[in-house]
Amino acid sequence: MRRMSTPHGVGIGWRPEISGFVAGLPGLRFVEVIAESVPTAGPAPHELVELRDRGVAVVPHGVRLSLGSAEPVDPDRVAHLAAVAQLLAAPLVSEHIAFVRAGGLEAGHLLPLPRTHEAIDAVCANISRAQADLPVPIALEPIAALFDWPDDDLDEAAFLTEILERTSALLLLDVANVYANARNRGTDPLALLDRLPLERVAYLHVAGGAEGGGFYHDTHADPIGQEVLELLTEVCARHRPPAVLLERDGRYPPAAELRAELDAVATACGFPEVT
Amino acid sequence: MTPAGEPTSLAARQAALVASLVAGGPPPSGFAPGPLAAARAALLRKRAGEVARHWPLLATGLGPAWPTVFIEWAAGRPGAGGLRDGWDLARALHARAALPALGAEELAVRESDLYYDGQRAPRRRRLPALGRAGDALALQVAGRIHLLRRRRAPCKHPRCPAAPGPDGRRRAK
Repeated sequence: MRRMSTPHGVGIGWRPEISGFVAGLPGLRFVEVIAESVPTAGPAPHELVELRDRGVAVVPHGVRLSLGSAEPVDPDRVAHLAAVAQLLAAPLVSEHIAFVRAGGLEAGHLLPLPRTHEAIDAVCANISRAQADLPVPIALEPIAALFDWPDDDLDEAAFLTEILERTSALLLLDVANVYANARNRGTDPLALLDRLPLERVAYLHVAGGAEGGGFYHDTHADPIGQEVLELLTEVCARHRPPAVLLERDGRYPPAAELRAELDAVATACGFPEVT
Repeated sequence: MTPAGEPTSLAARQAALVASLVAGGPPPSGFAPGPLAAARAALLRKRAGEVARHWPLLATGLGPAWPTVFIEWAAGRPGAGGLRDGWDLARALHARAALPALGAEELAVRESDLYYDGQRAPRRRRLPALGRAGDALALQVAGRIHLLRRRRAPCKHPRCPAAPGPDGRRRAK
């Protein structure tokens, strides 16, 4: 099957709860699907096949490979991600610079790596293992972390840049994660943007979050705040990537609100509206 | 300097961190306690949401108490996925007679449908089976489940037609 073209314009994370809404977006050319939610034993879920058949690129987004684990990445998990990419004729896949399990325990969420050379070696080895078995390029997403390791040798820009250079991977830059980290660490998000290779960005993520207990939480279940939208505008003013994707994972608002949010994202980036 | 007994390899340090976040392990040295506690709480909230998606009646039956009941039970207990976490919690609540009627119904249906030993992933039952929890009784035959009996405690709301009147008898016909 011919692969779909790479993502461009405004996309949205496809989730079963909003599949009807997503199917009804007339200008949509790009969605993501959580890779682990797609069964590969039978045919692809028909809603995704219908999107693909109308020319919408479907990007499998992995959340449980644990590329940042000190142990080698599980080949069965890589094989599943590769199979989902084939099934959906995906132009690329994406995953995180993070680990989600260690010592036989599942953390249940993406955890940050220490920004050390030892961790860079481990994650780069796993990315190379994954790349060897994947049929398409991989884009890597830096995560939002509520805490840092005590022994970081590198700052985030140096850490990410070295991983991208050593693996030739693409960057999936999550603007809400950049905002959350800067906010929680008390650093300047623009200073990070200035040092990241924005020309390597395959697409951007953007999502809403909320304050709680003295921290900003990247919930994906709240509206996008004005400050995150402004940061999105800043990123696109520096070097506009080919695409941006809205992630919403819960407390879904009425369709009109979600459409307005997609339009606000399009305006911030200067992309055509898809609604 | 690393205190004696502290792990030094990345693998061991990652394992100690995850154990501290989800299994009640000691806090790894050097980490700021406030952010680590925030991460621990966020992981529990995320798990509560996943379990509620697998066990909607259990969560609904507990009403506003749901997140607290789940988080108190789950703190320090590693997650086993939404289906098993909810199952373990429902059984624990049942054992201390704290399972709401809706949760009992959901548990009975699951017990009739799947075999779960509390250790490994639940497996579909091939033979007919009964599931029982509290007043709820579910019969599964050839994959079809029948809820046979469901008695609820009488409603005590004064305007509820099913609530007992002052004479102890139901007002409704």
